[in-house]
Amino acid sequence: MKLGAYLKDHFYQFLIFLICSIFQILIFLSFKVNLSVILSSTFLYVVCFFLVLFIPYFRKKKFYNELLSNIQALDKSYLVLETLTKPEFYEGELIYQALYEINKSMNENVRMMEEHLQDFKEYIEMWIHEVKIPLSTLVLISNNHKEQFDKKTKLQLKRLENYVDQVLYYARCENAEKDYLIKEIELSQVIKNVGLQNMDEILENKIDYIVDNVHAKVLTDSKWLEFILGQIIHNSMKYKRSIEHSYIKISVIEKQDKIILIIEDNGIGIKESDLKQVFDKSFTGENGRNTNQSTGMGLYIAKNMCVKLGHKIEIESVYGEYTKVSITFAKNKYYDVLK
Amino acid sequence: MYKIMIIEDDKNICDELARLLENHNYQTILLKDFENALHEILEVSPDLILLDINIPYISGEVLLQDLRKESNIPVIMVTSMNSEIDEALSISYGADDYITKPYNPNILLLRIGAVLKRTKTNYQNHELTYKELKFDSQKGMIKKGEIEIELTKNEMILFAYLLNHQNKIVSREELMTILWDNSEYVNENALTVNMSRLRNKLTEIGYENAIDTRKGLGYILL
Repeated sequence: MKLGAYLKDHFYQFLIFLICSIFQILIFLSFKVNLSVILSSTFLYVVCFFLVLFIPYFRKKKFYNELLSNIQALDKSYLVLETLTKPEFYEGELIYQALYEINKSMNENVRMMEEHLQDFKEYIEMWIHEVKIPLSTLVLISNNHKEQFDKKTKLQLKRLENYVDQVLYYARCENAEKDYLIKEIELSQVIKNVGLQNMDEILENKIDYIVDNVHAKVLTDSKWLEFILGQIIHNSMKYKRSIEHSYIKISVIEKQDKIILIIEDNGIGIKESDLKQVFDKSFTGENGRNTNQSTGMGLYIAKNMCVKLGHKIEIESVYGEYTKVSITFAKNKYYDVLK
Repeated sequence: MYKIMIIEDDKNICDELARLLENHNYQTILLKDFENALHEILEVSPDLILLDINIPYISGEVLLQDLRKESNIPVIMVTSMNSEIDEALSISYGADDYITKPYNPNILLLRIGAVLKRTKTNYQNHELTYKELKFDSQKGMIKKGEIEIELTKNEMILFAYLLNHQNKIVSREELMTILWDNSEYVNENALTVNMSRLRNKLTEIGYENAIDTRKGLGYILL
């Protein structure tokens, strides 16, 4: 609350006071009242005026200043009401009451939205479990009747499966609730599972899956990590170069305080101008536009999941040469001590 | 022949799963009476159970807990619930393995084979035989009389698989899956090379044409 602004706001009171004083002095003069009486009564009048003007200012100042500075200081400014002491002047009480009502209605609204979102998420999860049943049946049918369904069917089913999983993990990681379980996981096991899940596509694309010595234990949710690696490998397959020896190379670097998992390919790479945005939602970039098969969601979801799990995911690339994705897992000393 | 019980309420999956397993020399039984599931399981007494979590009357997890009070029949959970939490719970209730839908049929077969091998003691034997040839999978040697030939890891994996499926056509895909499952991430060419090396070694020891190629289908050990 600024004094200048407050005074400006009360300019009309000052004006009324001034006009009244002038009239009073004129009246006194017309009645030929003694000068000392005029002066003393005018002085009293001025003092009274300033008291009337400033006492409310100091009363209100404390409340309004607290309100404004707390709003600034809080990152969730809608919680400001909780931090204020209840004001003792009428105007402040009105504001306080209004804020309370607004907050209450807002909270109800937010809760309703949260319930809505939760319902939606539950429905999506249920739907995904449901859709996986006919999908499994189709996979089995295509496997049992190879004479009728060739490899193409299988690969299309695999694509479908990947899109369904994207929705599932999107729903899971956008939600505030904890849907993962962090355990000590052997990386080679995760890499093997991802390899097996994508074996048909890797072989179909004539890509070599090169796995270096990757025996290391990390703390993560293996299902989530499998999905993340799956997205990276899908990209490698989607954006491979038409050269003789395409590869996806997976290796692990162990450092004192961290373990870095590296997935490198010799695909078409990513233009430098696009590189910063590959983890953005719905970003497809030059490569995506050229192949027309990109949703721009895979890496976005992967990044979000890494953030939730506490891993760092980074991407490095030279256009026309390679793409290298690294995921960094922190080593947990507390956990080592427990062991 | 091993008896595998399928506990799953979607009829289409049941039928196709049964067909897949029967094609691979397993006898299959479908659970009919979900209301008295435990009773029926114990009556049939299968060698292995494929159990879904979402089944009528009782959840698969509860059924598993009840079953564990009575019997140690190996159980593989087969489900579309694919979170780590579900898996950890199932394992803690006593499941032997956990596979999520939609599964790769070859991987499912491998897991079934692995669980059976682990739980059935009579399969602990490391020495397999093919005609007069002895195969020691621990040392990685094939032996016939005085002649001994060493196999590489990949050749061993391939030979062991062919031997376990003797007189049946084995697809390249199945062979690929078993190699990858053993962390040998070979490509199509490497598989061809490995197969021809294995063939040469078998020829060397006196079994020419033991492995036959069936165009478009795979290989067969005769």
